[in-house]
Amino acid sequence: MAENIIWISGIPALLSSGLVLLVSRCFKRAGNHHYSLLAIIQAVIYMGLSIWMASLNRPVELSGNGYFYMDTLAVFEILITAALFLLAAIYSRGYIDSLLKQEEIEESLLPVFYGSFCLLETVLIMGFLSNNLALLWIFIELSTIFSAVLIVTLKARENITAALKYVFVASTSMLFTFMGIIILFSLSQEAISGGSLNWNSLMENAAGFNQSAFNVAFILMLIGFGAKSGMVPFHTWMPQAYAKAPSAVSVMYGPVLNLGLFAIIRLFSISHQTGGTGLVSTTLLSIGTLTIGVAAFSLLARTNTKKVIAFSAIEQTGLALVGMGLASPLAFFWVVFNQLAQPFIKALLFFSAGIWHRQYLSNKISAVIQPMSHQPLASIGLIAGIAAAAGTPLLPVFLVKFNILSVLAEKPLLFFVVLVLFMVVAAGMGYYFLKAFSQKGGAEIGQFKTPLSMKLPIIVCMVIILILGVHVPSWLTDIINTICAELGMCA
Amino acid sequence: MNDPLLIAVIIRILLVLILGTAVLVITQRSLRSLFTIYSIQSLLLALLALVLYWQEGIFSLLLISLLTLVSKAIVIPLFLRRLLRKIPIKRDLEFRYLTPISSILVSIGLLFGVYRLFYKLSDELNFEPLFLLGTVIGVSLALMGMMVIFSRRKVITKTVGYLTMENGVLLFGLFVAELPFIIEVLILVDLLMILVLASLLAFGIDSTIESFHERLRNFGMEAEE
Repeated sequence: MAENIIWISGIPALLSSGLVLLVSRCFKRAGNHHYSLLAIIQAVIYMGLSIWMASLNRPVELSGNGYFYMDTLAVFEILITAALFLLAAIYSRGYIDSLLKQEEIEESLLPVFYGSFCLLETVLIMGFLSNNLALLWIFIELSTIFSAVLIVTLKARENITAALKYVFVASTSMLFTFMGIIILFSLSQEAISGGSLNWNSLMENAAGFNQSAFNVAFILMLIGFGAKSGMVPFHTWMPQAYAKAPSAVSVMYGPVLNLGLFAIIRLFSISHQTGGTGLVSTTLLSIGTLTIGVAAFSLLARTNTKKVIAFSAIEQTGLALVGMGLASPLAFFWVVFNQLAQPFIKALLFFSAGIWHRQYLSNKISAVIQPMSHQPLASIGLIAGIAAAAGTPLLPVFLVKFNILSVLAEKPLLFFVVLVLFMVVAAGMGYYFLKAFSQKGGAEIGQFKTPLSMKLPIIVCMVIILILGVHVPSWLTDIINTICAELGMCA
Repeated sequence: MNDPLLIAVIIRILLVLILGTAVLVITQRSLRSLFTIYSIQSLLLALLALVLYWQEGIFSLLLISLLTLVSKAIVIPLFLRRLLRKIPIKRDLEFRYLTPISSILVSIGLLFGVYRLFYKLSDELNFEPLFLLGTVIGVSLALMGMMVIFSRRKVITKTVGYLTMENGVLLFGLFVAELPFIIEVLILVDLLMILVLASLLAFGIDSTIESFHERLRNFGMEAEE
């Protein structure tokens, strides 16, 4: 049965995007609710599929040529992606209605929006199932294409600029990654007959790779995969793209970012098997710290709520890179945990920021007046999300930051620098929201009636974040331990 | 014809000509000429793959040569020309950060830098001198393409820069290791999708939001007028 997963995974999205196209051509009266229903049905099917995948034996190759492979990390990421897409699909029902009412999106573009929305989910799931690194590269590229299309469906010229920046920065960086992949393939030809780019074969034969040539390949590959996850200095597309995309789409950048980090985790585990992680670790630690630093100082001067969230996502990437660079089983465990916690925190923030945007028709801080009385749930969501992202105790990122810092304590200088940067991040985000909540005056504005479909995802995200922060269930610990073991990252 | 020395000379000539086209891409202002240069560059690349096939007899090289010829030397330039008819610009006169002359000087620096890096690496990857030259020119071509992306204002010129960069990566691949053919085809499909999207956005930048959305609705393939 497992060998059919690839086909089964492709069908729902192809069907739903085909149906979206058909409905748009044949039924002129089809509206947002019809399309969003299709997206929700697809998301439910993927949720079911991912639960089914979780019940199967792993790790297993899904195709004869070994191009697709399912291990615990892949299933873990797919479950997160499917859950977030389901929430985003539900949210978009009310959210797109409101955009239509304000004429920020044209009704005739809904098929393009929902078609890309549906295909993005499949591309991400296929990416997580890719064993072949070149194939993973292709799916990451495709995720850029669909994400960019989703940005430009809104009726604003700045969105075209944001999408262009995204496409050029991501695709240009990905070409360097491709050079790294070619070098890796050439290296593999010495250890594997005929060469291979399949991750599991590379893991098995990594000990025979030439260390310095592998390091060059790793650094080249890190450029593109890092760019997709917001690594400095290739992060420039992210604030603009996050801010300009509709909130339901910004939520989906969580799994897109996860896919970039997933690729880096895969590469790092190969590097770990080569036996000499020295240069790779140093590179990850330096770039990770730089990424946290740039995010921290950029957060200090923000005036746009969604850009604050974008820089918080960049900080998350820095944290993950530092965690990986430490090459310790404990830090790695929390890097994997962070892959679960962060997308839900970012989703909570974007869902809430989306409601603020509908209320004030702007993402700018200057427009926000008395948010607690206008939109109490979204405001609580933003407070909880910011507290979680900053690393407040009893919320999940605290555990990640605390444990990574505890390992980092072996390097006192770096420990001190990263600790100070975390404080700057918390101060920047805290100050922004204190300001937003304490602004007075302005003309009286009517209240945006938030539909249930926009409230429900916020409540679900809040519950998940609280549970993860207060108590990490033992089954989750087991899953993450299995992932670490499969990646060869246990001691 | 199977004289290895002659083949080596032909490869060297083709590599130098490819480098020449990269310099022209950096300096050229007229968009039509840019597309022609890109087309010639791709043709030279297809010829190079053909010569390598002659030398090594690997069938996938022949397929790559044909694929490059059809897609990059014919289809993509035609697509770009068609797009040019729909947007109001014909020349890209604006340069950012680097003027054409300084771009060429930086390119020379890059070429030497890349040579030094790969010279060190060539022992570990068992490169022959000719393959080292191919690799160095491949990477330099990619970096020169990247320079075009950074130093030009117009999206359509940036797109040609991206395509040049991709040609550099293909050249690099030809000399270092050929990937399985199916992967090469998928990469080309991906490149075409990025090209359609980038040109659609280029159209959007230079037109009204309404006409941009009209095209977006039809996935950029609209034959209006």
